[in-house]
Amino acid sequence: MVTKLKEVDVVIVGLGWTGGILAKELTEAGLKVVALERGAQRTSENDYSLPNIRDELRYVVRHDLMQNTARDTITVRNNPQQESLPMRRLGSFLPGEVVGGSGVHWSGHTWRWTDMEFKIRSNYEERYGRKSLPDDMTIQDWGISYAELEPYYDKFEYTAAVSGKAGNIGGQIRAGGNPFEAPRARDYPLPPLTPILASEMFTNAARDAGYHPFPRPSANASQPYTNPDGSKFGGCQYCGYCQRFGCEANAKGSPHMTVIPIAMRSPNFELRTNSWVTKVLKDSDGKRVTGVTYTNVLNGEEFEQPATIVLLCAYAINNVHLMLLSGIGTPYDPVAQNGVIGKNYCYQTGAGATLFFEGKYFNPFMNAGGSNATIDDFNSNWAFDRAPHDFVGGYVVAGGFNTPLPIGYRPVPSGTPQWGSEWKRATAKWYQTAMVINASGSVMANRYNCYDLDPTYRNAFGQPLMRMTFDYKDNEHKMGGHAAQTINTIAKSMNPTRLNPASARTDPWTVVPYQSTHNTGGTIMGTNPRDSALNKYLQSWDCHNLFVIGANVFPHNSAYNPTGPVGALAYWTADAIKNRYLKNPGPLVQA
Amino acid sequence: MIGPMRAAMMVLMMTLLPVGAVRADGDPVRGEARFQECAACHKLEAGANEVGPSLHGIFTRKAGELADFRFSPAMKRSGIVWTPETLEQYIADPQATVPANRMPYAGMASASDRADLIAYLSKATK
Repeated sequence: MVTKLKEVDVVIVGLGWTGGILAKELTEAGLKVVALERGAQRTSENDYSLPNIRDELRYVVRHDLMQNTARDTITVRNNPQQESLPMRRLGSFLPGEVVGGSGVHWSGHTWRWTDMEFKIRSNYEERYGRKSLPDDMTIQDWGISYAELEPYYDKFEYTAAVSGKAGNIGGQIRAGGNPFEAPRARDYPLPPLTPILASEMFTNAARDAGYHPFPRPSANASQPYTNPDGSKFGGCQYCGYCQRFGCEANAKGSPHMTVIPIAMRSPNFELRTNSWVTKVLKDSDGKRVTGVTYTNVLNGEEFEQPATIVLLCAYAINNVHLMLLSGIGTPYDPVAQNGVIGKNYCYQTGAGATLFFEGKYFNPFMNAGGSNATIDDFNSNWAFDRAPHDFVGGYVVAGGFNTPLPIGYRPVPSGTPQWGSEWKRATAKWYQTAMVINASGSVMANRYNCYDLDPTYRNAFGQPLMRMTFDYKDNEHKMGGHAAQTINTIAKSMNPTRLNPASARTDPWTVVPYQSTHNTGGTIMGTNPRDSALNKYLQSWDCHNLFVIGANVFPHNSAYNPTGPVGALAYWTADAIKNRYLKNPGPLVQA
Repeated sequence: MIGPMRAAMMVLMMTLLPVGAVRADGDPVRGEARFQECAACHKLEAGANEVGPSLHGIFTRKAGELADFRFSPAMKRSGIVWTPETLEQYIADPQATVPANRMPYAGMASASDRADLIAYLSKATK
C-alpha cells in the first residue's frame, strides 16, 4: 500500500552537493522543501572523527559511504553486441550513499570548465572543419557559456573553501596560476595548499620542459576559513585520508558541513533519510510531474510525495535511471539515433607512471586531496594543435599524491613479484621513495556509448537495472598515447632510479579496478529538445516542473573533475527557479 | 626507529619545558583570530559539543571530564588539569603532549600565537 503524503512545494531526490545547494537556496526563498536521501544521516562529529574514520577496510574495501549494490546496481557491456552483466561489486566508480553524497568522500578537486567544453562542436568545426569530427562522435554545444556561469563558479568556490592560485583575473595572466583558465572575477578564497616534495619535483620538471605547472585547485581549506554562509572550516592537516573518507578536520568542503545544515535549520525543510525514490510521477497529459514515489528501505513502507517542483539531485547514473524508469522523455536509440534519455554517456581516461628515487623520502602518508601540481597545457590550451595528433579533447597531468593509502598504496618497480618475500622486500624499500605522475583525459561522446534499461536484471524494488554500454574509442586511445608520451618525457627528465612508464590503454574498459567516479551524460543539456533532455537551466523539455541536476547534464566529459560545474550549475538552476520560474511557472526556454 | 626516538625526545621536551611557560603578554584580540584554527570543531558555548568538546569553562576542568563528549582513552588517562600553562603546552604539539589523543590538529608552532590564543580563551571560555 502506498501512503499518499501532503503536497510540498519542492521534493529533492538525493541530498549531496546539488540537492544540498538547492535545498538551502529554495528554503531561503520561502519554499517548503522535502529531501529524500537513500542513505543515512552521518555527521563529522559522530562518524568522520578520529580514530574511526581512518579505516581502510571499512571505507575503501567495504565501501561504507557508497552505494549498496545488493539493492541496486547497473549492468555493463562494452558494445551492443555483448550481453550485459550486473556489476555486483563497486569498482570503476563509487557513487555515494549518505547525506552529503559523493561530496563527503571526494578529494575536492575543483575546476572551472570553459567555453572549450561548452562550445566544443563549434570550436572544432570552426578550426578544423566540419569533416574533422568522426561521424559517430556525437559531441554538441551545451547551450550555456562560461560568462553565464562565472558568478556561480565563484559562489561554489567560496562555499566549498577552494584553495588555489588564480591564473587569469579579468584577462590578466597571473604567475603561478593556470594561464589557460578562463578569466575569473577574483582569486580563490584561499591560497594554495602547502606543496609536498613530489609536487615540487614535478613542478620543476614540468617548468623545465616548457609547460605551465600550478597547484591543483581543491576544496581542501589551506587555512581556517569561514565561508559566506558562516560555515566554519578547519585548516587541512594533510592526514592523507581524503578520497573515500569524510574529513576529520572539517577542512574538506562537503555539503554535510555547509549547505545541508543550513537548510536543516529552516522550518521549511525536512530531510527523510533511508528513502529510495522509485519513480517520478507524471500527470495525465504528461506535461508536468506531480511528485515521486519512494520506499523506506528500513521497513519497506511505500509513500507518494506530491510536489509542485521535482528536483532530481541523485548521483549522475541514478538521475538518468529515474528518468528512464519514469518514462519521461524519449529513450535514446543508438541505432536509429533518435531519442535523448540515455544519450552521450561519457567517462574519463588516463595514463600514469610511477617514479622511484633511491634516497628520496616522499612521506606519502602526509598529503591532502589536492596536494599535487598540475599542467593544463594539453587541455584548455587551445593553442595546442590537435590536428597532428588526430584527437579531440585533452588531458591534464598531475604529479604528487592523492590519498596513497597506508595499506592499499604499494608501489614497486615493474618486474617485482606480486607476493612473497621478494615483494615484501621491494614494498619496504620503495614505499617511501616513489611518486606518481598521472594524466586524466576527456572522453568524447559516441553514438554507441549510452544508457538504457536492462532487459534481464532487476533491482531490489523489482525495477529493471540501468544498462551501461561503454568503451573507449579510437579518439581516446590516441589521446592516451599522447598523454603517456608527455608523462614519460617529464618522468625521464627527473632521472628516477627506476621508472614504471605510462602507457596508453587500448584494452576494453572494465568495471574493475577503481578508475574515476566521473560518470557524465544521459540527460544532457542543450539548445533544443531533439538533441537534449534539458534546457540550459537543467529544466526538462518535456515536463517544465522537473529539473535534473548533476554531471548527467554534461553532453561530453572533459579532462577536468566534474564537481566545479556541477556545483555552479546547481546555483545557476537555483537562481533560475527563484528568480524566474516561481514568478511564471512554465518552460524557461521555448522549444 | 622513529617511534622510540620520538618518545625519548618527548620525555626530554616535557622535562625541559618550564612550568608556567605561557607568556603573560598575550593579546586576546589577536588571539580571537588565532581561534579560527579551532572554531571549525570547538564552540565556546556551554554544552555545544561538535567534532571537539565545548571549550566553555575549560580552565575549571580536568581533561576528558565532560560527561557528554566521547573523549579518547588517551585524553581521559592524561591526568591533565587545564590551566593556561597546560593548554599552551598541549596546543604546541598535541600528539607529543597526549600521544594517541583524537584531535586532528598538528599544533600551533609560534609561542606568541599560543600566548594570544590563551589570552583570548581565558576570557572567552568563562
